[in-house]
Amino acid sequence: MPAFRLSVARREEFPRRRHDGQAAILADKRDRGHVIECDAAAYELGARPGQTVLQARAASGGGVHVFVHDAARSRTIWHDMLDALDAVSPLVDEGGEGTAYLDMRGIAGETQDWIERALRALQGFDLPVRAAAGPNKFLARASTYASDGDIGALPIEVLELDPRAVERLHLLGVTRLEELAKLPHGPFVRRFGKEAAVWHDRARGIDSTPLRPRAHELQIGAAAYGEGSAEQEEQVYFALRVLAERVCGDLARAGKAASLVQMTFECENGEVLAADSGFAQATGDPRTMLDVMRAKLEGLTFTAPIIGLRLQAMQLEECGAPATLFGQNQADPQALAVVLARLQAATSRSAQRARVRPSAQLETRFAYDDFTVPKAVSTHQHDTCKHRHPPQLRLLAVREVEVRMRGNQPLSVDTRKVLDCAGPWRIDDGWFEQPMLRDEYDVLLDDGMLCRIYRQGERWYLRGAYD
Amino acid sequence: MDTAPAPRPTFATLKAGLDVRAGGRIVAARGEALSTGFEPLDAVLGGGFPRGTIASLEGPPSSGRTALLASVLAVATQHGLAAVIDDGSLYPPDLERAGVRLDRVLVMNVGADAGAKDIARCADIVLRSRAFAAVAMPGVPLRATVWSRLGGLAQKAGAVLFALGVHASTELAYFASTRVRCAIDAVMWSGESGVLCELAGYDVSAHVLKARRSAPGATAHLPVIDERISHAALRSRACLSPLRSAPRRISTTPA
Repeated sequence: MPAFRLSVARREEFPRRRHDGQAAILADKRDRGHVIECDAAAYELGARPGQTVLQARAASGGGVHVFVHDAARSRTIWHDMLDALDAVSPLVDEGGEGTAYLDMRGIAGETQDWIERALRALQGFDLPVRAAAGPNKFLARASTYASDGDIGALPIEVLELDPRAVERLHLLGVTRLEELAKLPHGPFVRRFGKEAAVWHDRARGIDSTPLRPRAHELQIGAAAYGEGSAEQEEQVYFALRVLAERVCGDLARAGKAASLVQMTFECENGEVLAADSGFAQATGDPRTMLDVMRAKLEGLTFTAPIIGLRLQAMQLEECGAPATLFGQNQADPQALAVVLARLQAATSRSAQRARVRPSAQLETRFAYDDFTVPKAVSTHQHDTCKHRHPPQLRLLAVREVEVRMRGNQPLSVDTRKVLDCAGPWRIDDGWFEQPMLRDEYDVLLDDGMLCRIYRQGERWYLRGAYD
Repeated sequence: MDTAPAPRPTFATLKAGLDVRAGGRIVAARGEALSTGFEPLDAVLGGGFPRGTIASLEGPPSSGRTALLASVLAVATQHGLAAVIDDGSLYPPDLERAGVRLDRVLVMNVGADAGAKDIARCADIVLRSRAFAAVAMPGVPLRATVWSRLGGLAQKAGAVLFALGVHASTELAYFASTRVRCAIDAVMWSGESGVLCELAGYDVSAHVLKARRSAPGATAHLPVIDERISHAALRSRACLSPLRSAPRRISTTPA
């Protein structure tokens, strides 16, 4: 949207004369502020963003109108516009205030239909809108400036470069995208730095920036309409209590607490009354919520019976643990699939599940398979669980050790004396391919280490420690 | 029938109701905890490891940390999932014997040469899913911000993140809600040293260095005994060899 924040300020201040054509600038303060945005007419006159208001006035000969920026208002309107665009495409990327990208792949219609739909969705806001389609984000945005479709003829400022870079390019005689695209890539990047690679790519119509759909804000609310009318306060309080419990249930499921609840009453005569109840501390408790709302409604008189009531939880904060579908005993396959994919991407290894199998050798008594989501189980099984606590072997990196023997028993391992030992257990395995003969011992050393060692051939190895 | 109105509770009575102390432990004001599988340790910790926190299991090799972890994993996998970030030291057959349901344990084998950052990243991903009741990782040295983040994720997931190491780093010691130092007090064998001897188990003393819901400083004695082996020994003692005797204990700590 061209000069979105300025357009909003103009609309708010002059709702009827917004297209009067007078040059205008948007500043953070009226007199001593700085220019945030300026429209095309003011730009022609010499006003630029970043100037002080006095400088802009002086540069334009005093012929500009100054609007003051209202950030909250501008943001609210922008969010409303994004919500409206949700009806056009489910994937809306917010590219800063005033710019939105819609992913239209898979949506029925031709390019012109899509553009018309987007413009129609934003028609009600009565703000100047440009829309175009392109294979990537840059081309789509650039196409909104090129009415004839000739993107190469656009000035290089479309690339949103640093003003100093623009100046340097102008000195080189490069003012349009097609001129920039003709420059050799390597020397241009070497001269202007690595960010110049992106400029050059975009000038050639290449933009690999992914579309990042905006996150939808969580809306928690409850409403009662079409269930008769309420004339007495008990009826209203009853409805409020029911709605508060519904809202708090949703809050608990989402792991949120609300700092503000907005009540909206619709009366039979068409009157709509909204009242906000703020809480000193964010809450998800229906009783607390109801008490505060009752206090807020104390002494209030409605002119007609209430036919509709709506509660909206606002200013949500994180609170407690959300009750998710896979809460400890029911794993959500989709969420686990995301975990497995992330682990794979982060470590280049897949998540595994251990499996025990019969084998003579210690190392081959288990194997790993790819992890899959197990079936959900009843929590009642927990009660029947019998605790067993066998010794646990912890595998260590196999290393050779020096063992002194007396008879058939180890006397020392490296420099540590053997206090007690069990074994040997002879493992004779793999006779049909690679014969392996091994004597294993469990030994307790004088430093308290309880470990598994084995002799293979003439050498001794430390395999693990009981832990 | 007319009844006298109940006395209005004072602040002192309300507080007394919340903080019922027994033997220096708060027993009433306890939340949900993950049982350790050892009743003495549960009693010392006020029910087990608090969910949504970091727990540090400390001790050198052959200290009983893994036996304690295996017991917790057995409890966790009875009704949920658990994850282990393994540096190559995991021995699944013993875990299975401890009652761990291996099909419910996600093992992320990062290898012995994995960096602390890789391990932290795996823990981050696993905790973020909020699907695991217990997550075990090597107690590698990490910055305070990383432990803070992992603690926050564990809190949101309602999981217990176990860090196993010889000592807890200063950062881990700060962010861990529970610190337990393990040591083997005595080793039990089923007979005299030699071919007929078998390792029956060991006694582990778990010293609570830090706990959120109980007074630190308490010690619990945890018997780690292989019931299968000891039963076999008992059965075979009378008929196999006169050398077999009742399990004897060798103390590994100086008197």
